[in-house]
Amino acid sequence: MTAVLDVRDLDTSFVSPSGTIAALQGVSLTVNTGEILGLVGESGSGKSLTGFSINRLISPPGKVVGGQVLLHGQDVLTLGEEDMRQLRGRRIAMIFQDPMMTLNPVLRIETQMYDALSAHESITKTKARSRAIAALDEVGIPAPEDRLRSYPHQLSGGMRQRVAIAIALLHRPDLIIADEPTTALDVTIQGQILALVQRLCRDRGTALIWITHDLAVVAGIADRLAVMYAGRIVEIGGVDDVLDNPAHPYTRGLIDSVPARGTRGKRLNQIPGRMPALTDLPKGCAYAPRCPRATAACEAMPAIEPISDTCAVRCFHPLTGEAS
Amino acid sequence: MTDNVILSAQNVSKQFGGRGDLVARGLARLGLARPRPVVRAVEDVSFDLYKGEVLGVVGESGCGKSTLGRMVAGLLDPSEGQINGRAPDANTGPLPMQMIFQDPFSSLNPRKRVSDLIGEAPRVHRIVSPSEVNAYVADLMDRCGIDASYRDRFSHQFSGGQRQRIGIARALAVKPEILVCDEAVSALDVSIQAQIINLFMDLRDEFGLTYLFISHDLGVVEHIADRILVMYLGRIVESGPAEQIFNDPQHPYTRALIDGVPRLDRRRTVYEPIKGDIPSPIDPPKGCHFHPRCPLAEARCRTERPVLRDIAPGRQAACHLIETTAIEGEPKWPATKTG
Repeated sequence: MTAVLDVRDLDTSFVSPSGTIAALQGVSLTVNTGEILGLVGESGSGKSLTGFSINRLISPPGKVVGGQVLLHGQDVLTLGEEDMRQLRGRRIAMIFQDPMMTLNPVLRIETQMYDALSAHESITKTKARSRAIAALDEVGIPAPEDRLRSYPHQLSGGMRQRVAIAIALLHRPDLIIADEPTTALDVTIQGQILALVQRLCRDRGTALIWITHDLAVVAGIADRLAVMYAGRIVEIGGVDDVLDNPAHPYTRGLIDSVPARGTRGKRLNQIPGRMPALTDLPKGCAYAPRCPRATAACEAMPAIEPISDTCAVRCFHPLTGEAS
Repeated sequence: MTDNVILSAQNVSKQFGGRGDLVARGLARLGLARPRPVVRAVEDVSFDLYKGEVLGVVGESGCGKSTLGRMVAGLLDPSEGQINGRAPDANTGPLPMQMIFQDPFSSLNPRKRVSDLIGEAPRVHRIVSPSEVNAYVADLMDRCGIDASYRDRFSHQFSGGQRQRIGIARALAVKPEILVCDEAVSALDVSIQAQIINLFMDLRDEFGLTYLFISHDLGVVEHIADRILVMYLGRIVESGPAEQIFNDPQHPYTRALIDGVPRLDRRRTVYEPIKGDIPSPIDPPKGCHFHPRCPLAEARCRTERPVLRDIAPGRQAACHLIETTAIEGEPKWPATKTG
């Protein structure tokens, strides 16, 4: 397995008149060929920002202020704007939460797919059309020839998301960043999209970062899991390790908060309080004020340390080898 | 059992659209405009709500669950059928039903202080005297987990979870018996969602509340509900005790819905339970509404509407094929595995 993407110590900040807000701090992760990495966190944890920073889609007052984003060993943060434009969409594709916002409402699907193709290669309209039909067919859209003539509003939410996936796959990218693409969809449609993305990535060896707030969704789709809290990765590892033996107290709390089979009628183990605002982070570990295991040591920021071959955790008091 | 029925819905239907105003009707008659389409949002729904229970209503977008909730809460009038519950006494005294909405951002008036948001209704309905309103509001805030010293703040000064608590306190202020929760935890983060679910359960014990709990999230409904109604395109397709519905679903749609929910214990495997999209409620399929997506559909399903009938004590389902379909073990839907 080779690393398609290697993110090292990524820092992203927002500059405001009242001071600089460090929204991402020291985010490091790798994604290998054909691997699906689930990036989990609550609102404001920085999970979407990580995806945007990798693709350099942060606009002022936000700025990537440090670290490296290596795509096959090449640092995309040092690329010029034109090189970056060539890379976006062709080697790194994104799928967003709301396909109504990503598809242009006044252009036919055909036009949008042609634009996406011609942005990166010189291609005739006839050839583009057959590529588009093949791509729509691949994502399971019935009667793709007819659908090319449609406008986005004529399609259902699930179909629109399939079109967005088809566009993302047009150039056979090395990496796809999917930012909550099923959150707005119904359960049965979510199942269809999850199965589709999983099959396509497996067949083509595309690396995928799946950003979500829903632990159960990544349990079904991901090989590895990274948990974010207040702008930092607090735990990263294989999906079974993280979900069965979470080492960080926040991961444990998150898993216990999910209503699941066997919790019927019982009280859920809630995490007290809420995530601190990024403008008002506590000193040291950001989770300490909510953490049952916090001690005086937690007033310093723990480093992310490996606890096994595959797992790393950012905690002074990790839960190791304890039964849940 | 009938003593315990706190609210009963009989053959309730709700249609939207259809007959427009005078001008629209005139134009339609002259052939200058098409008649407005009729959406049968809820069709012939009957159920009883028992005192103290949590009745979960599940289904996908467009299945009519929110319309049903709004009718129960009295925000919409049924087109046909009736909902029998206790009517409020004229203008004073407690109100029997209250609703909690999904979006804690748009359901609170941004120009009112928390003390007014919570305190106005009980004052108007003379549940508390003006001199006691302050103490009453403080007590409610305390019970719902909001610091009573925040009483003079506006709703935008609170986080989503706290706003939802304010919405709950506001609903409880008029001493309701029934709370209709329409996707009340769906907009919240997982750790906050757990806090609000726990609050609902605590309040239920404390005030003896009855809930109509509407959600698309089956995990949440399974956790909190005693009984469940499963809806599809305006009709109830299955109902029964929560445990039985989840352990032994009978209707193919219920089965697909439950199997389609991602679970923490199901790793690197995704089930694709049913193909296709939900049909438009403007033009629902004939016969059984579910037949175009149903893997088991037969000729009969395409023409004849299955009636909701008893299949076991306390359980009902609307499917022609229930006797012939046995279910056990792992889902039979196609699964995709990673790696």
